[in-house]
Amino acid sequence: MRSAPLRSAATLCLTFSVLVHAAPPPLPAEHLTVQPLPPKSPHWVYVYDEAFDNEIDARLHLFDGDSYRRLGQIDAGYLPSVSLSPDGATTAVATTYFARGSRGTRTDVVEFTDNTTLAPSGEIVLPPKRAQTAPTIFNIGYSTDGHFLYVAYVTPAASFGVLDPLHGTVLGEIDTAGCVLVIPWGPNRVSSICESGRLLTLTLDAQGREAARALSEPFFDPDRDPVFVQGIPTTGGYAFLSFLGEVHEVDLSGAQPAFTPPWSMVSPAERGRWRPGADQVGAIHRGLGRLYVPMHPGGEGTHKDGGTEIWVFDMAGHRRLARWPVQAAGLSRVLAVQVSQDPAPILFAATHAADVAVLDALSGKLRHVEKHLGQTPWMMLNP
Amino acid sequence: MRSLDHLFEHSSRSLARRTSRRSLLASLGQLLTGAALLQLLPVDRGGRAWASEAAPKPDSPESCEYWKYCAIDGFLCSCCGGTSSSCPPGTAPSPITWIGTCHNPGDGRDYIVSYNDCCGKTSCGNCECNRNEREKPMYRPSRNNDLNWCMANADSNYHCSVSVILGVAEK
Repeated sequence: MRSAPLRSAATLCLTFSVLVHAAPPPLPAEHLTVQPLPPKSPHWVYVYDEAFDNEIDARLHLFDGDSYRRLGQIDAGYLPSVSLSPDGATTAVATTYFARGSRGTRTDVVEFTDNTTLAPSGEIVLPPKRAQTAPTIFNIGYSTDGHFLYVAYVTPAASFGVLDPLHGTVLGEIDTAGCVLVIPWGPNRVSSICESGRLLTLTLDAQGREAARALSEPFFDPDRDPVFVQGIPTTGGYAFLSFLGEVHEVDLSGAQPAFTPPWSMVSPAERGRWRPGADQVGAIHRGLGRLYVPMHPGGEGTHKDGGTEIWVFDMAGHRRLARWPVQAAGLSRVLAVQVSQDPAPILFAATHAADVAVLDALSGKLRHVEKHLGQTPWMMLNP
Repeated sequence: MRSLDHLFEHSSRSLARRTSRRSLLASLGQLLTGAALLQLLPVDRGGRAWASEAAPKPDSPESCEYWKYCAIDGFLCSCCGGTSSSCPPGTAPSPITWIGTCHNPGDGRDYIVSYNDCCGKTSCGNCECNRNEREKPMYRPSRNNDLNWCMANADSNYHCSVSVILGVAEK
């Protein structure tokens, strides 16, 4: 009777021995490294996350629309303004820090990041005047040759700073007489949007000082149908969408801004019932001439409600090509859109639920939903 | 969510229909002109939390649908230790603000309200509310709720927003 337990024990030992010998070799020791960024892809997107619930901790997430992976992060402080250099090599973030985290002495600064490594590459300290506001591409911007960097100031008096990013200096400040934001064009011109519906255009000399200023004719009616300040880059300038769905195109390829007659994204029956609404209210594929706009049914006061659908337009023909009912497809309201500029474009749509949807920009097919890409993704930038 | 969105849209449209504001806007313009340099300020925020996120009753100051909040954009101080007209302990009111007009369905009157922010602590993160009746973009700062109203404070950190009654709007 006592031999049975012994046999069992021997069997167990034998089994264990076999298992030990059958186990794979141990993993090799690892070397801690820093992951390099892969080569830049047109399907990357920089996602501006204001981190609204804890605003002193905003950031940019770099996301790949092909692999659906986050590639890295750029810290962005408090209510930041963001722009990429014309060559795409640098990200400029104008932000604010407080000496004691959430309080204390305010420091406004432009921080530069090397986009090949996502490592900080320099900074320029600003006067504590920069506009702390919702994200637009006109809060900060480079001249087309990259020699000037302009930063919108609001104290609430409106002006802008002229910076030399190559030498890391503030060259000066130019008053804009109540007109706001910085729309850079050419190597030395900046326009601001005025309460009267006009553009104020400053021309700078080689030292970044004001050489001339000119006020355009009104190109929209701010009382009857104001335009969103979230302009969208076109081939020769920008398109501005109005609350009621008009498209105002501004050509900035000449000596002065030129305005083409506005066209409507809505039919007479839809006017006032369907309208654009979002934080980043449109995106344009410049090669294809296609405009993508989050649209929703709603009346006055709903211009920041996100889109229940994305409407696609042919810019040249002024006609709607498609309606993509993204909410019906399971997404929450779309608050920001961006489209890659390559021949096989991706449309990115950031939602109220902080998801970022990846769609085929030609067919509207939903390819992927990246859940919770940050906390409040309110703007996206192409690399 | 969809039904709540619909409810909010309906509510907003109803409110807009019931409210006559042309004269109020004129009064407001005069008031703002009088306020001179104290233009509107800041508070960031894009467009999240509409009334659809507000669980409390519409007549509650903790509800985004509360009548005084018709163009507020931010976190309701009522949910952060303050009230609809007082800042939470340890914060500082913004001395500059922008002013709007809201209709009180309780007494049928239109009221001029001041949308101040409470400053000096990081964002409250509770009861976010974004309503935009007659709100205008940043080139019209006296009607804009995207700017940070705390911008001129010694500590410009935004915490939450209030809506303070200044008086009955004249018809």
